[in-house]
Formats: sequence, C-alpha cells, structure tokens
Amino acid sequence: MDCGCRTAVLRNTDNTCECRKFSGIRQIRNTTGDAAMSNEYAVEMKGIIKKFGGLIAVNDVNFSVKHGEIHALCGENGAGKSTLMNVLTGRFPASSYKGDILLNGEKVHISSPGDARRHKVTIVHQELELIPELSIAENIFLSDQPTTPTGINWKEIYSRAREILNGFSLNLNVKTKIKYLSVGQQQLVEIAKAIYHGGNVLILDEPTAPLTGREIDFLMEMIEKLRETGISIIYITHRLEEVFRIADRVSVMRDGTMIDTFDVKSISADELVASMVGRKMENLYPDMETTPGDVTLEISDYSVPHPDYPTNIVDHVSMSFRAGEIVGISGLLGAGRTELMSAVVGAYKMKGKGTIKLNGKEVKFRNPSAAIKSGIGYVTEDRKNTGLILGQTIRFNTSLASLDRILKGGIVSPSTEKGIVGELKNRLRIKTESIENAASSLSGGNQQKVVLAKWLATNPSILILDEPTRGVDVGARYEIYTIMKELASQGVTIIMISSDLLEVIGMSDRVYVMYEGKLQGELQKEDINEDTIMRYAAGIA
Amino acid sequence: MSNENNQGVNYKKLANFALSNFVVIAFIVIFIASCFLSPAFLTKGNLMSVLIQNSIYAICAVGMLIIIITGGIDLATGSFVCITVCLTAGFIQSGRGIASVVIVLLMALGLGACSGMMVAFLNIAPFIATLAMTTILKGAAYMYQTGQSRRIDGTFLPNWVKGYSFGIPNPVIVMIIVYLVFLFVLNRTKFGRGIYAIGGNMETAHLAGIPVKLYLVISYALGGLCFAIGGVLLCGRLGMGTATVGDGYEMDAIASVVIGGASMSGGTGSVTKTIIGAMLMGVLYNIMNLMGIASYPQMIVKGIVIILAVLLYKRK
Repeated sequence: MDCGCRTAVLRNTDNTCECRKFSGIRQIRNTTGDAAMSNEYAVEMKGIIKKFGGLIAVNDVNFSVKHGEIHALCGENGAGKSTLMNVLTGRFPASSYKGDILLNGEKVHISSPGDARRHKVTIVHQELELIPELSIAENIFLSDQPTTPTGINWKEIYSRAREILNGFSLNLNVKTKIKYLSVGQQQLVEIAKAIYHGGNVLILDEPTAPLTGREIDFLMEMIEKLRETGISIIYITHRLEEVFRIADRVSVMRDGTMIDTFDVKSISADELVASMVGRKMENLYPDMETTPGDVTLEISDYSVPHPDYPTNIVDHVSMSFRAGEIVGISGLLGAGRTELMSAVVGAYKMKGKGTIKLNGKEVKFRNPSAAIKSGIGYVTEDRKNTGLILGQTIRFNTSLASLDRILKGGIVSPSTEKGIVGELKNRLRIKTESIENAASSLSGGNQQKVVLAKWLATNPSILILDEPTRGVDVGARYEIYTIMKELASQGVTIIMISSDLLEVIGMSDRVYVMYEGKLQGELQKEDINEDTIMRYAAGIA
Repeated sequence: MSNENNQGVNYKKLANFALSNFVVIAFIVIFIASCFLSPAFLTKGNLMSVLIQNSIYAICAVGMLIIIITGGIDLATGSFVCITVCLTAGFIQSGRGIASVVIVLLMALGLGACSGMMVAFLNIAPFIATLAMTTILKGAAYMYQTGQSRRIDGTFLPNWVKGYSFGIPNPVIVMIIVYLVFLFVLNRTKFGRGIYAIGGNMETAHLAGIPVKLYLVISYALGGLCFAIGGVLLCGRLGMGTATVGDGYEMDAIASVVIGGASMSGGTGSVTKTIIGAMLMGVLYNIMNLMGIASYPQMIVKGIVIILAVLLYKRK
C-alpha cells in the first residue's frame, strides 16, 4: 500500500504498480489445465432437480461451464442459485437430488464436500469460514500444515502465506489475527485461501458484497488473472456491472429454473435485468421528485478518535442534512463513513467530539436509545450481526426498536403489535407466510426489508441507511429504493452510506464523499457522476 | 403426489411440534410409566411430597432461566440458597419476624445485581463473575454461621411452609406465583422482550435502543431473588439455618432449563417448560427412589436424561 497502489487501481490511472504481481498465484496454479482440455466443458450439470420437502428449489436445471471461463450466475434471492451450487459442492447427499454432474466430460458422483474437494471444485461462501482467533497464516494452512520432524514448520507457513498475500496485493502481516481485519480484508483472505487450496472450478458466492471500490478492483483483476491460468470460475452476483466487467457468459435463474445462458457481449443490461425479474424493468431507480426542506441534522467539526491508534478515524467533518432529501455518503472502505454516522447516533465504541444540532438545537446521543427517542433510525450495514436477531420471529424483530408503541399501560399488546407488524409487512412486501416465521428463514432481500420495517416502525424523522441494498436482489432493491423515495417525499431526511456507485448516483440528491476520515467533497445533484466521486474517494481531487 | 406432499408436511409439522414440546411429552410418559412401576407413586401423599420437594428446585430454575435467556449463566445458585437459609434463620432468631424474609429477599436482589454489574459494566464473563460470587457467598455463610445454633422450629416460617392454603401446599403456591409473575414478565413486558433480544444478539438489541446493561443487571438481580425465595422455603422446611445446604442447586437448575428446551447460548427458553423440566427430574428421582434404585445410579440416569434432551432439541 505504501508503494502507491492505492491510486494504481483506480480507473483512468497508471497501471504499473509493483503490487499487482501475481507471481504467487502463478506458481501455485502452474499445474492446472493439462489433462483437462479433452472436453469443452469443465462442468456440466444435467437435469438437476432438488426438492426440500414439497418445495422444488431447483427444477430440471442444465448448467455448463467452459474451461477457463468466468461464468456469472444471476437471479434474485431464492432463485435457486445457491442450491444449485450446493449440489455441485456436495452439500447434499447424492440420493437427495436427481440429475447428473459431469466434470471434464466424465460423470462424477458428488455426495459430500469431500467428494467435491477431490474433484477440485471449491466454493467461497458469502458467510466467511475463517477462525477469528487464528492468524491469517494459520487460517490459510488450517487443514494441511507443512511439518518438520519436530512439528509444524512455522517458517514455511509464514513465508508461503506471505507469498500468497503478495500474489493478492494484500499488504498484511500474516501473523495478524483474522478478527482484526475488516470484512473486506477477510473476504480477500478467504478467496486467497480457496484459490491456494485450489480447484479447477472455483465458485464465488457474491464475493464483492462486503468489498468497496479498491478491493473490488483488486478482486476483479485477480479473477481475470485466474482465468488465464485455465481455472473455470462460477461467479454468483447481484451486481450487473460486475457481470459486464468480467464475465464471459452469464446464466440467469428464476424460481428454481434456468431461464437462459447468454454471451455477455450479446446482451444489454436491461435485457439481463428483464430476464432476472421476469418482467421489463424500465429503470433501476424509482423516478420520484423530492423537495428538500429545512435543515434537520447538522454535524459540525465532528471528530471520532480511532479505537486503536492515536489518530482520528473521523477527522473534523461537517455535514448538514435537510428534510425530504436523500443524501449519499460515498467513499472507500475505511473512509470513516460508518464510524461517523454510528458515532453521531451513539452506537460507536468511541465517543465523538464536535457539535450535533437536531432541528437547530444542540444534542448529544449517549446511546442508540437516545437517538431513537429523538426520531433517528439507523439501519446498520451488517444485517446478520447487527440488524437482526436471526432466531427470532419477523414480528419480534420488527417491533424491537419501537416497543413503546406496542405497550398498553406498560404491557405488551399482542394485537397492537400484530397490527403494526402486519401493516409494515404488506407495505414493504415482505415475502413470508406468517410474521411468526423466523427471520433466518427469509432470503437476504426480505431480511433487509425486515430491518427496514423495524426502523420504519419507529416513525423516524431521520433515517440513516448503511449499505441498504448489500446482498439484496434486483427486485427487492427497487422496492427498497421506492420506500426510501416515499419517505423522503413525506419529509423524512434520508442519509445513505453506500459503496455502490450506481446506487449513490441513482438515488442521491446530494453526495458527500469521504476519504481517510475527512470530508473530501460535496457534490450537488448535477455534479454527481462516477468519475468525480471516485476522484474524491481516492483523495486525488 | 400433492397428497403425499401434504402428508409429508403434516408429518414434519407433527415431528417438530413433538420435538419442541419434548419436555411435556416426556413428562407425561414418565408420569404414566411411574404409575405402573410402583403402586406407591400415584398416591396423594407421594405426589404432594414430590410437588413440595421440587417447588424449590423449580423456583431456582426459573431464576436461572432468566439469566440463561440473556446468554449468561449463574453458578452461584447454591450459594444464594445457602446464605439465604443462614440469614433467614438468624434474623428470625433475633426476633425480626416476617421482616427477616423481606430483608433477606432484598439482600439477594442486591447481591444478584452485583453479579449483574460485574457482567454488564466490568465485562467479566458470567461464568467467572458468578463463580466468584459462589465462593464469596459460601464463605460469608460459613462466617455468619460459625458456632451458632440456628434452630427456628415453631416460628412462623416452618409452620407456614408446612401449611396449606386452599388445599395446596404453601411452597407450591409460591412456585405458582413465581411461575405466573415470570410468565407475564417474559411475554408481556418490555423487559422480557429485551432480554430475549439481548440473548439473541446483544449488538442488535443495543442498536435497537434496548438498555442492555440495565436489563442485564435486572436479570441477575431477579435471578438472585428467585434463588433466595427457594432459600427461604428451604429454611422453613429445614427449620434451621445451616451453611451445609445448597450444593449442586445450580446444576439442577441448569438441567431443568436445558431439559425445558432453552439454549445455553441465550435468546430462547420458556418458563412453563422450565417448570415442567424441573418436575420431570423430580418425578424421575421419586420413581427411582420408590423402586429402590440407589442414589449413585440415579445420578447417572440424570446425566443421560440431560444428554437425551439436548440431542432431541438439536434435531428440531
């Protein structure tokens, strides 16, 4: 990072940084693809049918991946993508599904994760499978440590791990415990680990979901390099821009069936979206006029100390937000956006310094509870760990932040609760049979809607949303955007932290861009474009 | 085809229902089996003594449940019972009468709150905080008890504990009141919602405005209160104060909660099933006693029941 590769990965800039060497990976991968080329396809799945009880999750699906191609697999949440990939990676015993799997033209029997590994099929799941208390190196070599006669060969582990990380342009100490890494860094370590342990077929399940700008660029490049080595990559994603950026072909699933497979060159984004949602979608962002009103929230000269170092993670930032306005906060991962907003509402572990004015009056929120009482809702970026209680019902989760509303004389009123939750369920179109189902039973998009419902139940006048559509499918995204616009038109102040540039551009009336804890720039509606945001975000404008 | 599917779904629903109500079904099965295994079982005298004996365990188990729902644990149950027995007898002896009970319960509330503060504000793991509390209270009980004879036979407490109201033994009445109060607290109050949320995901609860630290302190305080209620009843049954009682109460309480289907990682648990869990253990002990099974094999059976219960709940 100190060699200047931060700027090297940005678009329109010099590409010659030393950090981008893939020597480590090349070495590891030099054996792939020799015997494999006898058949055109690395993977063929034929007539796959998988049922859960009476529900058909995957219905007679044919899917094939060529050698050395990046094959994107798209579809809304619940379309059956993950189930299909779980079949391929041995999550289910062979007796529980129908159909054939062929690798390199040969019929194989995949009945357990071990089978998949033997056949060199590897998956990197959305949920990271790293052990937080162990170091990066220990995690990479978890299953097969090199040894000396007297025990584990730590020297070799560390040097090989260093090599692998260098191949990924990750400038991290291999002895760092996983828990001290950001989610994005963890993701890259996980992918590095998977690629190192290898496979001829690598499945990436929404690998960029927790990543931002720079890291996505790293990953994209890495994937392209991997393609050159002959690996076949199945790339599950919601982000269409990524499909067009790296994929050779794209397959679309909907409602458990395979809709079609396209050459990426021969299809437009609109066509792809239409085949995913099964209807034509004119616009990814709802067109609704909002008119900004008075300033509601004003942050001046606000700083938040870094929890570990004697610096500021948010450094003298001033921002103001108006009623009925959607303000995007953009920037790279680690720019201090989340820290700023969570400190403002009293949810961050460090206390911020500076003044916060709410409707002109100076306030200070000691904890999230105080912020909620003042009408501020905060949708966090990580719905599984900070947004939901997965084991509890949709009803329980939805009413959690607004318990006072369902009390009658201090006693919880089940009928009031059911009324409020049921109404929000309909308004947000949460797809579930009953509000008594566990939140964990919902798809990502619907889970996000439950989190949103929880905050809407508090009737906020200011709603802060941190990565509101991360891991959410196209259809649900549109619905979430619509709700945000509706709220704004009702006079709610919407503050949206987002790493999705298109989303920032499509939704925001105004954008603040942060860089390394500082406010780098403020863009008015007419100045909002990808290039400008990226320049500010990278600290070069 | 669709018919088959429906049957499949129904069967699954039934199986799920059976698994989540395992403790109820197991209790009924053991109860009916016991009727056949020993003629002495299904007699009013025997059933009453089982109820009275286990009401104390059940009350302690409810206290434990509150804390386990928050994702914590309280190992000091036995020591709470022990010091309550000593202090209640001591205070009654020194002529404080019914006030003794009130003082002791308030003290337990405060001591429980101390455990809670260690957990909530000092970030000490519940296991460690309450382990420390265990030895502190036990030591205090022995110190208080030294060289004193604390017999309280004939005072109001032993008489009341041995007595009946509306044909129901008084300790059982106390258990029913504790049951109803906590049934209400857990299901119909903000606090109840809050502690399920804290146990389910503390960070989410905090961000949703639940006063996590305060609720943790209250949970441990209520736990202490329950243990102390058990202790006062035990004091009445014994008719004396002694520091040698209470050992192992925490294990029985945890066992009842687990058999009642709560998860040790928090966020789940039901008062009803916890009470039935406690009674199930009680009936099991009783029938083994009636059948003349010695106490050591009984301990083995208890262990096996706990393992079976946890395995069954896991399958859900």
